[in-house]
Formats: sequence, C-alpha cells, structure tokens
Amino acid sequence: MTSAKPPDKAPVTPPSATRGGGRVRENLLGLLFVLPGLVGLGVFVIFPLVQAVYLSMMGSDILGNPTRFVGFQHFAELFTPEFGNILLHTLIFTLIVVVGGVVLPMSLAVPLSQKLPGMRVFRTLFTLPFAYSASAAGVVWLLMLDPSMSPVNWLLRLLGVVAPHWTTDSGWALVTVSGVTMWMVSGFNLLVLAAGLAGIDEEVLEAARIDGATGIRQFVSVVLPMISPSLFFVIVTTTLTALQSLGQPQVMTDGGPNGDTSTLVYSIYNQAFHNNNSNYGLASAQGLVLLLVGVLLAVVQFGVIERRVHYR
Amino acid sequence: MTTKSKEGARVRTSLRRGASWLALTLVAATAVTACSSAATSGGSGQQGADSASAPGPEALNGKGEVPITFWHAMTGANGDALQKLTDKFNQANQGKVKVTLAFKNNYDDTLSAYKNAIKGGQMPDVVQVYDIGTRFMIDSKSTLPVQAFIDKDKYDTSDIQPNIAGYYSINGKLNSMPFNTSMPLLYINKTAFTKAGLDPSKPPTTLDEIAEAAKKLTVKDASGNVTQYGFGATAYGWFVEQWAAVANQESCDQGNGRDNRATKINLADDKHIKLFQWWQDLVKQGVAMPLDSDTKNGDTAFSSGKVAISLESTGSLGGFLKASAGAFEIGTGYYPKIDSSDTGGPIIGGASLWVVGKDKDDAHKRASWEFLKFLSDKDSQATWHTSTGYFPISKSALETDVDKQWVAQKPQFATAIKQLGDTKLTKATQGCLLGVMPQARKAVDTALQATVLQGKDVKETLQGAEKNVEALIKEYNQSVGG
Repeated sequence: MTSAKPPDKAPVTPPSATRGGGRVRENLLGLLFVLPGLVGLGVFVIFPLVQAVYLSMMGSDILGNPTRFVGFQHFAELFTPEFGNILLHTLIFTLIVVVGGVVLPMSLAVPLSQKLPGMRVFRTLFTLPFAYSASAAGVVWLLMLDPSMSPVNWLLRLLGVVAPHWTTDSGWALVTVSGVTMWMVSGFNLLVLAAGLAGIDEEVLEAARIDGATGIRQFVSVVLPMISPSLFFVIVTTTLTALQSLGQPQVMTDGGPNGDTSTLVYSIYNQAFHNNNSNYGLASAQGLVLLLVGVLLAVVQFGVIERRVHYR
Repeated sequence: MTTKSKEGARVRTSLRRGASWLALTLVAATAVTACSSAATSGGSGQQGADSASAPGPEALNGKGEVPITFWHAMTGANGDALQKLTDKFNQANQGKVKVTLAFKNNYDDTLSAYKNAIKGGQMPDVVQVYDIGTRFMIDSKSTLPVQAFIDKDKYDTSDIQPNIAGYYSINGKLNSMPFNTSMPLLYINKTAFTKAGLDPSKPPTTLDEIAEAAKKLTVKDASGNVTQYGFGATAYGWFVEQWAAVANQESCDQGNGRDNRATKINLADDKHIKLFQWWQDLVKQGVAMPLDSDTKNGDTAFSSGKVAISLESTGSLGGFLKASAGAFEIGTGYYPKIDSSDTGGPIIGGASLWVVGKDKDDAHKRASWEFLKFLSDKDSQATWHTSTGYFPISKSALETDVDKQWVAQKPQFATAIKQLGDTKLTKATQGCLLGVMPQARKAVDTALQATVLQGKDVKETLQGAEKNVEALIKEYNQSVGG
C-alpha cells in the first residue's frame, strides 16, 4: 500500500494514528473515492425515487405531465379487489418462478457435476436459456404453444395427453407465463449452482463418506450447507427477477385472459405506457408498492434464510 | 490467530450482507425509476397550431433542400414498400424536399415517442398514428390539420374514398391524411365447406347462419377431440366495434364522439348482449375455438385449417393465401350482421398521417404536405395497395392497370371493394372518436375474454366494462378541459 502511494509532503500517518487531523483527512479522502458512486446513486436511484413519490401524489394530463396535487388518492385507488388480484398473481408468479427456478437447475446441476464424458456439452445446452431476452423467449414459447399448431401439444397427443389451453384457460395462463420465466432463469441458476458444486472440497465429501454419510444424507447434510451461499444468491436474484418480469406476460398474454396474468410490473407498465395510457401517478404509486414488496421479501430472506447460510 | 480469523469472517459476512442489502434496495428502486423517468422531461407544450393558416407552395422558395422526418410503424413488406415510395418522392423533389424515414417499432411506441417529443424533444415533421389515436392527436394541439392545406390549395379531395376520409373527419373537416387502411371481412375455408356439404359460394351473413354452418363444420376425432372448429376469431375489441357499425349503431355517445366529446361507450345494450352471448354459447358447445386477443394466434388458427370460419382484416388476405396454398381454398364474405335486418356497414380504419405544426417553420409544414399529397395520389396508392394489401384511399387507384391485375389474381379482395361501396357513410360507420379509445378497445378485449373464455355473465361483464371506461373518459375529458 505504501509503495503505491504517491509522494506526499506530509509524513505518512499510519491508520491507527490518533491525531484528529489525520482522521478527518482520511475520511475526506475516503469520501472523495466514493463520490462518483454516490453521484451515480443520486442521479439514478435517489432522485427517481423522490420523483416517484412526488408523481404518486399528482394527477397527470394526457401527455403525462404532472398537473395537480391529489394527495393519497392514488394510494387509495390501490385498495380494490382488482389490485388485490394483481398482488395475488404476483405472489403466485414469484412463488412458481423461485421454487421451480431453483429446484429444477439444482436437480440438473447435481448429475451434471458428476465427472462423466460429455457433461460439458450438456451444461452448455442447459445454460442456453440464459442468453434469451424476455421478449424473444416469449415469442418462441408462443409459437411452441400456439393453439392450432403447437409442437408441444403434438408431443403430448402422442403420449395420449390432451393439451390444456395454455394461454386462454384462466388456471393455465399464469402457470404458462411463470413456467417460461422459470425456464429462462434456470440457465443462469444452473451455472451458479454448478459452480458452487464444483467448489466443494473433495476431501470433505470423502470424510463424510468415511463417516457413513452417502446419497441423500450426504446431499442434505454436507453438500447443501456447503453450497448454501450460492443457493442463497440464486434465491435472492431469482426473486428479484420474478418481481420485475414484464416481457413474459406482456408478450405472451398481455395480462389476459381477463387480467389473470396481470402482475405488479405489468400493471405499472399498463398504467404508464400501454394503450396510450399516461397515468404516471397511479403507476408511481404501484411502483412504490413494488419497492415495498421487494424490501419486505428481502427482510424475510435475509432474516430467515441467510441465518442458515454457511460462509466459509 | 483463531480469534482474528473469526473476527475477519464476521466482518466479511456483515460486509457481504451489507452489500447484498444495498444491491437489493437498488434493484428494487430502479424498478420504480422506469416509470418516473419518462415523466420527468418537462415542458407542458400546450402551444396549439392554428388550423386557419397553412403555408402555400411559396414557403419552399429559397429554402434549399428542406429535410423532413417521418415517424412510422411499418414492418416487413409494408416497410419496404414505404421506403420505395419515399425514394421515388425524394428523386422527384431533389433540391426541394428530402424525406427521411424513422421506424418506431409499432403504433403504440410511435405514439409514446411522440408524446415524449411534445414534452421537450425532437419532433418529427410527419407522424403515422393509428385510427384510435385520432382524438388524442387533435387534443395534443401539436398538429396542423390537412384541411388547412386543402383549403389553401383548393385541393380536390373527391378522389379520396369518402368512407375512409370519414373516420378522420369531424364536421366535414379532415384532420389527417389517411394512408394505410383496411376493413374487416368474413373469411371461410371453402374446401371445408364443400366437405361439410355447404355451399362455398354462399358464406354465412348473420350470427344465426354462422352458428348453423359452424355446427356442421365442426369435426371431432375418434377420442372426441375437436380437430376442426366451425368458427374461431381473435377476442378483439375491433371486431365488436365493427359489429356495432354493421348494425348502424354508434359505439359511443354524442354521435360517436363527432358532435361533442363522447362521455361513455355503448356496450351493455341488446345488440352487444346478443353478440357476446352468441359467442359464449358457441365456445361452450365446442363449436367455436377459444382464442385470446393475440391476432397472431387467430390468424394461425384459420390459415392452419383449425377453424373454418373466421374474421380478419383485408390486410391478412395475402398472408392467408400464402399459408394455405395447396392445403385449402379461401373465400371471403361481407362482415356478418348480428340480425339480418341490420343496415349499416363496417368502419374502415387503419392509420393516418399527421402534419406536425408545433415548433415547425412554414417550409417544413409545406414540405410535409407535399409528401402527403404524393403518398395519396393514385399511382402511389396503387403501388401501396398491390405491394401491401392495404385498401387504397384513392378511388382511381382501383382503376389503374397494375391494380386491376392484382385484384384479378386475388378475387377475394373484390368482396372488400364491393363492401365499401355498399356502406353508407353515417356517424355509426365513421367510427367512435374517443381520447381513451385504445384503452376502451382493450376493455372490450377483456370483456370478450371474461365472457367467451371464462364463461362470465354477459350482461354484468358488459355493464362493468362500460362503467370502467366511463371513468377513464371522465378523467381524460377533465384533463383536456372539455
């Protein structure tokens, strides 16, 4: 550290110096270093956040310009059965995506981590969904599930299964949209989980085996705790991805049928931009609800799950 | 050493924790950012354009080559045809006007971009806006009505199809120049008709006739699964508006929003209830295919032979013919009536071109008008019609050789020409003008989904939709001070 330091007129003060002047100088220097970061934070996060709070209390004209102060009217508009349904859809959507998007790649990552020939090819293939954008994935899956000429339905028919109405049946539409999202996130999650598995010390596993822990027992008691940081990371990022997914419902169902795939982010988009809408006030209020939901989920995840995470 | 490393691990963990917390908050906060940043660019831009004054041809004198920008939403073959026409115009007007095309993805995005431009950005000179954005464009007070140029030049508009101009006119005053237009047709699978013992030269004309034919056309396989539905159409609000117009009934009050600002849509009336009930019953009986509001799914359903009777715009004819080639024959009929006594006709919609007036000097306004005149003349429209399938706005375009040849090759299109000729121009067939028309149409999409796909009570659903849209209209009208 000292060798990299540029020549200075004042004598170098060790970090443990108790003289006040050095402390202040050091703090100022520290502040200088984080300043670019703080500016970015201010411009891209704090300012828009304040703006969102401001907009949520304003009415807007047909161009979306804020007009008059309406107080908490937009928040009052959120206490409707419709918005309750939107929250419910968001919850179900997130649940399916997080549970499926973690369990599926996990069940793939375990066999993939075995040292067998050709596993690399499979790992690359399984990771590919990661490369899709939400809209591309939506369009591709729409074709796969086209009600008249779907390859998926054709395959199901060969197996003797009557395919459901993927996007028009109320019960199925949300499952379809979250299934596609699950498929999308599983590529990246597989990558992270496989890396976590690869990082496990062979000696630890051997020691466990000698102690008699094999199979499921070894996985639950040894492997799982050892990859818990990766697992936790995957759960947190997937939750956020799920909460913010717009492209899938927008492209695949446009929130339908009858609003059954309308999630929180879709609703924000719908109020602010869709169909020549420019109700930025209500959209901002819903955006703040999204922020709240995100923070609440984070509290739960950090408060409950992270306690069990084993950092080495 | 142990205490030290433990201490280190603790610090590391809490650091990591802190960092994750920060990251989480940031990510969550950026989600909120998206909607607010769009609203931040200021400027109220209420300066209106005076309809009375349009610059004459002298405005271009001594200005050199005037560059104008045209925002459009034409993709694929349509985009190519537009580029070709634009090149032709630029060639003919070298040194005078040069048009640059700017592709804006789709109608919704074009309008969003335009709204942001009004609030303080680079405005285009000409912008393509879908029919349902017409009232909004007038209220944006940023355009110059083409009627001003028509009056100034004593421009002869008798060649423009009156039904097409009708949509974009209020009190006989044309606001924008219609460009790409289409009307709805009934499409039938002639081959399936013959197989079912029906006459393929007589497409059904009413709801009852469709239901009757559809029952005969529905085919099931050995295990009871439907392999061919008699009827199937996209759950699309546009079709509902068409049905109302064919019944010569206005879709919104105040003379379809043409006498005064409309205050409500007409949805929970007998005609609509009958229509929605009919559709719901057909789906329940397994005679009509349940389809969502995505026209792509509806189109594939027909072109793949899964449904035998469908509804679509004239614009889909080319795609249908291509997709069904070798598999089955396609026939067309007039858009069906709810009751055989209905006397109206369909609305001809699509998109039109607006001359932007805000922040533009006379040379630019005039240059825009020159371009619009070029695009609407008979040769341009004949080219446009034959390369895209859109209905030509110019009557005489249909008389050109190139156009006659094209129609001879696609006899199905002749139905549309006849249908337009048979449609009287009334307020009902002009179509409803509404500031929140895009949202109103979406509300009807949703009502169709609720009744047809979910089997919800028809009357209740329609009343609910009517009420929801009424609130949206009220808010809109208040914000424009009407």
